[in-house]
Amino acid sequence: MAQRAAVARRLPLRDRIGSITSGTLAWIYAALLVIPFYYFIVSSFKTNEEIFESPLAWPTTFDLSNFTTAIQQADLGLAVANSALTTVAALVLTLLLALPASFALARARGRAGKIVESVFALGFLIPSFAALFPTFLLAAALGLFHTRTFVVFLLPATALPLSIVILTSFMRTIPRELEEAASMDGASSLQVLRQVYLPICVPGIATVLLLNFLSFWNAYLYPLILIGPDTAQRTIQVALPTLKVDAGTDYGVLMAGTLFTLLPVYLVYTVLQRQMQRALLSGAVKG
Amino acid sequence: MTALLDAGRPDTTGDGKAAVPRTRHRGTLRDRFPGLALPALIWYAVFMIGPVVAMFVIAFLSWPGMLTTPTPAGLDNFARVFSDETFWTATANSAIQIVVGLPIMIGLAFLLAFYVVQKPRGHRVLRYLLFIPALISAPATAMVFYAMLNPDGLVNGFLRPLGLEGNEWLADPTTALGAIIAVELWSGIGYSAVLIASRLDGVETEIVQAARLDGANDWRLAWRMYWPIARDFIGVVAMLQFLSMLFNSAQTVLLLTQGGPENATTTLAYLIYRKAFVETDLGYSQAVGVVLFVIGLLGMWAIRRTLRATH
Repeated sequence: MAQRAAVARRLPLRDRIGSITSGTLAWIYAALLVIPFYYFIVSSFKTNEEIFESPLAWPTTFDLSNFTTAIQQADLGLAVANSALTTVAALVLTLLLALPASFALARARGRAGKIVESVFALGFLIPSFAALFPTFLLAAALGLFHTRTFVVFLLPATALPLSIVILTSFMRTIPRELEEAASMDGASSLQVLRQVYLPICVPGIATVLLLNFLSFWNAYLYPLILIGPDTAQRTIQVALPTLKVDAGTDYGVLMAGTLFTLLPVYLVYTVLQRQMQRALLSGAVKG
Repeated sequence: MTALLDAGRPDTTGDGKAAVPRTRHRGTLRDRFPGLALPALIWYAVFMIGPVVAMFVIAFLSWPGMLTTPTPAGLDNFARVFSDETFWTATANSAIQIVVGLPIMIGLAFLLAFYVVQKPRGHRVLRYLLFIPALISAPATAMVFYAMLNPDGLVNGFLRPLGLEGNEWLADPTTALGAIIAVELWSGIGYSAVLIASRLDGVETEIVQAARLDGANDWRLAWRMYWPIARDFIGVVAMLQFLSMLFNSAQTVLLLTQGGPENATTTLAYLIYRKAFVETDLGYSQAVGVVLFVIGLLGMWAIRRTLRATH
């Protein structure tokens, strides 16, 4: 470090600025990531007056009343249950659809397989957001408007392209001989999938599950439009913003609610940090 | 997008000739169509492709409300869209968002990634922190920023002791769009940096050391060595963030400003939402959807041209 600093001192001004900039930028950005976090965590233990008076001060008491108020006011307990139900059901459905599809695409040798694969690979081009209204019509046409069920059906469709691309590339690494040996023994396609491919694909499945867990749990616009404001059905992401009131938001309660929303994600991130980081990386690299 | 490139590559595993006669029947069937992909394909067609096709149809219908019967409208919706001042305001806002936001995001993300891969002191902590925004949902991010940007919030709390005037950041037409872009940058830079770092990690240390011995400093190393090597990949990251800014940022707008004050934060994506779900002018909304779809394709093409591999 010291040596590099010494070298830097002899360099022309423009270069010196260059070497300092990236480091300074990095730590400024890190501070900008941490400060909001610290701010909203301490705020969730304070009253509005305390937040306005000294925004960064350590809370005087660790009173949980903001949390209980938030949970009661926006029915967050029920909302978490709805989110969990929707997320888990959608994850199961995603795997049920994506695993056989990836298996078939990884083994396909003909032109049809390639066409199907490119349909999914081009999936990121679909502006599903712009087509929100037709999706809403589809829900109405299926008689599933204002239900969690429709979102459970829809979310896997949004996740299919990426999931299939990741799983197919995983399944391609499995030597064909393994499968042929199993076929010789009279195993059916689905048996080959279950007994030969699945055990080898566990890391790929974990990646797909984590990635989709994040996007399903965090989904906002689809649940907002398709499930609507019914407290019995709405998810946590839809419930949270209801704590923001045009006149006189209680910021302590709002921040407590936000913290409550983030807990499940942070729990998973802390336990599965490496896997989660890998999943997030492959999410874009493969997409 | 790698998959996009992969899909077109010649099949190197084809060994149809080696198949024994007993399995040929099954083999040819499988060659014709990967049947197990059918459920996923149908599901995808119904829930994803269907609505987009419907968007193109509705764009040519006159449909002034959910309860009215739509009638064919030809190009009327587009004529109305292009003569509407709000549409041009929204276009300008989206353009500012992308033209200002995207280069800053990608440039800073690249510098951050470059710094992290040099493994300076604390790079592990840094990598951990950079992931934070990727984990937080749009509503949670928006609520934190809502609390920070309100007149009594953290930002003004910082400025007042410095003798600076505070501001109602989200309610002031001159700063509202900037605030939305700042939220986008806050959440986009970290994730982009991690992605780019994953590519820069692959650069061989020998080359870097050799360049250092030749007297190359950090600045030159970053822009003359790492940037060209990672250029096409940075293009992919830029496309992802471009699409996310163009479409998904409407969530942030909806949560923080509802397009106001005075349309100052109405972007094209938010306009689609507002026309469909607030004003129920469905033909208009979907016509903007078609326009946005075309802009998305053009933007991706432009990014690909600017940042394609040079070697």
